[in-house]
Amino acid sequence: MSTLQGDLLHTVETGSISPGRRFWGYAALWLSAAWLVASFLIQAAHDLRWTTFGFETWRPVLYAYFIWAAVLCVTRVVIYGESGKKALFVLPAALFVVSMVVFPLLFALWVGFSDWNLASPTGRQFNGLDNLRHMLADPFYFNALLNMVFYTLAIAIEYAIAFGLALLLNQEIVARKFWRVVFLMPLMLSPVAVGWMVGKSMLETRFGPVARLARWFGWENPSFFGDPLTAKITIMIMDAWTFIPFMMIMLLAGLQSLSKEVLEAAEVDGATKWQRFWQVIFPLMLPVSVTAVMIRIIFKLKLADIIITVTSGGPGGATDSVTSFIYREYRDRSNVGYGTLLALVYLVIIVVGMTGLMNLTDRIVKRMTGRL
Amino acid sequence: MKIEVYDALMRRQASRRDILRGTASAAALMGVSSALGGLPTQAFAADDVRSQILKIPGVGKGSPTDADWQKVGELCLGPTKSNVKQGEFAGVELTFMGLNNQNLHNFLFRGFLKPWEAYTGAKINWIDLAQADYNARLQQSIATGTVDFDILEMGAPFEGDTAGKGLLSEMPDWVKKQIDIEDYVDYLKPPVGTWDGKTYRVTIDGDCHNFNYRADYFKDATLAKAWKDEGHKGEWAPPKTWAQVQEISKFLKGKKDPLSGSPAYGYLDPYKGWGGFGFYFLEDRATAYVKMPGDPAWLFDPDTMKPLVNSPGWVRAIQEAMDLMSYEPTDQINADPGTTGFQQFLAGTGSMVTWWGDIGQQANTSDTSVVGDVAAFDILPGSEDVYDRKAGKWVKAKDGINQAPNCAYLGWGIYVMARVDSDKKKQRAAWSAAAHLGGKDIAIWTAMYPSGFQVHRNSQSKIEEWVAAGYKQDYISNYLKSQFGSYNHPNRAVEPRIPGIFQYYSVAEDELAKGYAGKYKSAQETADAIAAAWEKITDQIGREKQLKLYRSSLGL
Repeated sequence: MSTLQGDLLHTVETGSISPGRRFWGYAALWLSAAWLVASFLIQAAHDLRWTTFGFETWRPVLYAYFIWAAVLCVTRVVIYGESGKKALFVLPAALFVVSMVVFPLLFALWVGFSDWNLASPTGRQFNGLDNLRHMLADPFYFNALLNMVFYTLAIAIEYAIAFGLALLLNQEIVARKFWRVVFLMPLMLSPVAVGWMVGKSMLETRFGPVARLARWFGWENPSFFGDPLTAKITIMIMDAWTFIPFMMIMLLAGLQSLSKEVLEAAEVDGATKWQRFWQVIFPLMLPVSVTAVMIRIIFKLKLADIIITVTSGGPGGATDSVTSFIYREYRDRSNVGYGTLLALVYLVIIVVGMTGLMNLTDRIVKRMTGRL
Repeated sequence: MKIEVYDALMRRQASRRDILRGTASAAALMGVSSALGGLPTQAFAADDVRSQILKIPGVGKGSPTDADWQKVGELCLGPTKSNVKQGEFAGVELTFMGLNNQNLHNFLFRGFLKPWEAYTGAKINWIDLAQADYNARLQQSIATGTVDFDILEMGAPFEGDTAGKGLLSEMPDWVKKQIDIEDYVDYLKPPVGTWDGKTYRVTIDGDCHNFNYRADYFKDATLAKAWKDEGHKGEWAPPKTWAQVQEISKFLKGKKDPLSGSPAYGYLDPYKGWGGFGFYFLEDRATAYVKMPGDPAWLFDPDTMKPLVNSPGWVRAIQEAMDLMSYEPTDQINADPGTTGFQQFLAGTGSMVTWWGDIGQQANTSDTSVVGDVAAFDILPGSEDVYDRKAGKWVKAKDGINQAPNCAYLGWGIYVMARVDSDKKKQRAAWSAAAHLGGKDIAIWTAMYPSGFQVHRNSQSKIEEWVAAGYKQDYISNYLKSQFGSYNHPNRAVEPRIPGIFQYYSVAEDELAKGYAGKYKSAQETADAIAAAWEKITDQIGREKQLKLYRSSLGL
């Protein structure tokens, strides 16, 4: 039994794979790969009407992919023995990602650059950059993007409220556990349920309890979705109500993990409450805060359910989010090609934007925490 | 006729004319051997069934339940039994795709088909869809070739998408006889339900928008006095034109509702989109202005497929909707047709609304309605002038008022998919299920009770049947007059059955929402934006093909 030099996992059996075993391993791998490629080409040619021979559906190609994936995993061990088993720890996950992320993304690109209206008798037609040109001249899309900027900026206020609540729940208050559960409850609700319960019932202008309260306070005709600005703010509040608990719980966890010694030292040094918060707690909490805000931004960029349920993007697109607009474009208008392209562009904007934001916040956090 | 037979028939409330009418009755009567015991039961079984089912649960006795639907389904099995042997479809499984709107449609079908399943031995699997998801699901199935259902609840506007692509199974003759297809009202007869001369649809609904109003408003002495005092012309009466609708709605602002004492409102516009279906309500306002008698085209130019939606008639309709917004309830800009019909009008807010016949049906039979008998009905209001697109100018209406009822959606139907055709047993089972749901007796029940379906057969116009079920004579006469008056109106505006019609409506809703929110400078600009968007859709789907289908649907 030998040990591979430099192999920290102490792989065994490196020299014990017979040439015959290797041959059959490679043969099985190449055969399954050939079958996958061949079935794909046959079906693609059939679909493109280059040949009459082909399958009724793409399902056989999918089965060929499954077989190839299984053979790939098995042949790692057949060909490489013990060291091949290491690959098995990662390979299924990698294949899963390829199947569920990479392939759909490639497929989306294929669809996104095509003219595909489901009602069209001609089906999908490649149309180059037409969808992109259409997007650049589409005021609905840019209106939705602008709305997303406002929605995202609202996270600053949500963060301040969440931090305040986290600080409150970190204190020794009466029934602290009860309050923690109570504050978490909105997060447990589905946004669609929030849309119906809050947007369509509690805020209903005639009989909704909030509208009645507003009338009691002297607002004669309360309307929460009647004009663009009020509607936008109401949507922001409903969304904030649902997700502030998420940021709050993350910040609370961060607060509870702060070193008590540091806080006590600041107190002994005579720091006021504000100084303790601003100069000690806040900087120490920055890494947690950045994580909470980043995740919240990602949630926010997907905002759609409440809008679709309550306003359908109205009045006049004032509350439209990019996702709710794409949803209408795709679902109501069956404009699959254009809808997919809009989603892809939005994905690129998110990836680029989030990467830039993460770099920026990373620098800020380093600078601020470096002062401590 | 033996006297005892005649007496027995009279006890069953059959009129002399009913007894003597029709060869079937005559033939049946010839077989009489003794009083009732000798009567061929089939001759009167149908009447008996109708009188029984129409009392389930009885008008004014609350909403029907699943037990009621099953009872109705059981009692209406007669025609199935005459065509299908017991257990004939044992082992057959069918998938049914339909809607679950307001807990109706598929909910009823399940109940109706349960006894059918028990009798025939077939099993039905269900795909329930919300209204808003329906179009997308159907279009995706069609476009991707993934039809995973055998029976489909569908509106005629999609016949271009389905029948035109060979996806539907042709109706066998025995089904035509079982459902008495000749009983349909004229506007639902071919070409509706057919494609290239073949019949595909079991009609279960007759869609047409009518005008629903609150009679108590127009009988209220205080409002009548105020109307006079404020110097309005004419009597305080239900409107006959859209101009009057505007005037009445503006007058009512600030007044009190006679029923509840809450603020009074006039017409209720649904300003918010509804997955494309909201556009029908702008059509309600527009047809009176754009549908010229003798000219079937009112949405597109039948020579070029250019949209007519930015013509002066349409622009006037949009402008009037914009003008009325500030006179309607607060937040009306967020009201979709579901809100105006069910959460507002039936719940006691507002005095005028256009809708499908559901309003009249539910006012008296649904637990959610508070308006009851004060609801009254008419065909859609008209206009004293109409825009003649060919002459390019407004002209005076021939009969003083131009009315053009909006036959929106052409009713729901049950269709069988072509994928069952390869299996004869399955095909027969699917058509039997469709025929059971579209049977003549079930149809009268669905027309009377909350179902999502309205009158669509000539045989449903017998007032005495409705009265026997519990409707008040005046109320139901008024309701049926508005329904049949719309269907049979010579200037009715019939929806074209062209592919992607809901894409046009959906994009129009988005543009209208912008117009209503003041993002366009004028009604004309809003209409121009809709027209531009429609042109893009036409080009995307294929102008020539659309034009051909459009002309064909207009009978040109």
